[in-house]
Amino acid sequence: MTLEIIARPGKRAYPPRVTAFTQTFWQGLLDGRFMITKCPKCGHMSFPPKRICAECWAPNTDWLAHSGRGILYSQSVVNAAAFYFAAELPFRLGIIDLHDGPRIATRLIGMDEPPPLGCEVELVTLAYEDGPLYAARLPAK
Amino acid sequence: MDRSDRSGIRNVCVIGQAALPCSRFQTPDEAEIQTVEHEILADVVVRAVAEAGIGKSDIDSLIFTHPRTYTKQRYFATFMANYLRLRCSGVVMEVIGNGMTGGLAFDQAVMQVASGVADVALALGISVETAVPRTTHLAYQMRSNGDVDFHAPFGFTPRVWYGMDVARYFHEYGATREQLAAVAVKDHWHGSLNPLSIRGTPFTRDQILAEAPLVDGMGLLELAIPADGAICLVLAREEIAKSLGKPYARVTGRGFYHEGVHEISEVPNDMLAMASCARSAQDAFAQAGITPADVSLAELYAGSTIIEVLASEAMGFAPRGKGAQLAVEGETRLGGRIPINTSGAPISRGHPAYLTPLYGVYELVEQLRGQAGARQVKNATIGAMMSELGNFSGASVHVLEAGR
Repeated sequence: MTLEIIARPGKRAYPPRVTAFTQTFWQGLLDGRFMITKCPKCGHMSFPPKRICAECWAPNTDWLAHSGRGILYSQSVVNAAAFYFAAELPFRLGIIDLHDGPRIATRLIGMDEPPPLGCEVELVTLAYEDGPLYAARLPAK
Repeated sequence: MDRSDRSGIRNVCVIGQAALPCSRFQTPDEAEIQTVEHEILADVVVRAVAEAGIGKSDIDSLIFTHPRTYTKQRYFATFMANYLRLRCSGVVMEVIGNGMTGGLAFDQAVMQVASGVADVALALGISVETAVPRTTHLAYQMRSNGDVDFHAPFGFTPRVWYGMDVARYFHEYGATREQLAAVAVKDHWHGSLNPLSIRGTPFTRDQILAEAPLVDGMGLLELAIPADGAICLVLAREEIAKSLGKPYARVTGRGFYHEGVHEISEVPNDMLAMASCARSAQDAFAQAGITPADVSLAELYAGSTIIEVLASEAMGFAPRGKGAQLAVEGETRLGGRIPINTSGAPISRGHPAYLTPLYGVYELVEQLRGQAGARQVKNATIGAMMSELGNFSGASVHVLEAGR
């Protein structure tokens, strides 16, 4: 399963730094894959991705492409933010429990009204001119 | 309760204190006449030490809260030692730990005395931010409350995490906006009785609900009001406290817990349980030999009303899901079963964030010494102060008891 890739005009308001390690994640996002890390020893899954297993401290982890689907745990509208985001206000942010995966927090899109907690959401890639971000929306179908 | 224990933290007392009212005293860069932190704090230190009834030469250790990034003078602790010509054989240092900074400064000062390194230690600091535009301050905060690369790019701010706490709390317990607003009514009333309060005004539920929500479920009067502040607490061995012949407050319990989590757990958990707060309260109460029912009043670090509610539940003052309803029923107000945030809380007293836990101790000490005036909790004998960082991924609790 892959994430829909949605082209966005302009540049990201506050671009993330890319490291030699996390570029696997950001490159995957451009290809429609949501990559998390999983420990080969204890199975602990991390997001943001980690080089080591945070739980058992195994020195290496495996990359795993997640479906990008999950359940909305909580959400809130944002009416005031750092100056970088002035042009985007208001917007909505949420916490998502990925199915059989880690809990993440990200932007919610296409939700003018507060979405019901517990609803199914899916991640998409937002392809800006300077690189990718990801966001969650109600499933397309 | 083991009253024979004269070692460790139970030997540590707060014997004096001074604080500026939470207010706006930072000057903008373009102001012709500037306020500077060292001049302001020096005055507070001199007042606190005089109030304690000890001398300058009695002081062994200085534990400063690290000033916010807006304080131009760096190496502030050593600079202040110079400004006051304070010679110290214990330690001079600054501590930092997000919103818990003031709690850590108090904790370290307690440890200085408990360990015997210091007979007298000061926990002190100054915090300025009110002349900084809010959107600039948020740009700084967004690099603190979350992951710079995996949260900040989406526009997360501290308040958003509060909003998500509210949404989840309403979802799980069916609590309402009106119930949550009752917490704000109560805190603003407390604050109206506190000369240190930056707002100092009571508000009705309708006034609170009339504010546009800044995040889901909470408006301006339900969120901490940024403030500048300066404070100094004087801690000493109980032998010294007793020799001064005045009421004091003795530390009887201390708890700290960090979940190994920053803002949210990557392993899905019950975010509303505030496990660090619960654990640190349990440990502090156990050390003090008390239960939550023994606590006369509590000062909770709460950047918003929802945090006060969740913390009061985690610490055992309210059943899960009932923290806001208790405010409706008057149990958490002055005169109620367990008065919470008689200072007015960060939403009324004000929120010089790195100092807020020290202002919490200040309130407990005033109450335990019977000097809280119109805010006085009758027969206040035991107080609890909680400070936290992140979305409660770390917390500390201190228990203080009236001494004389």
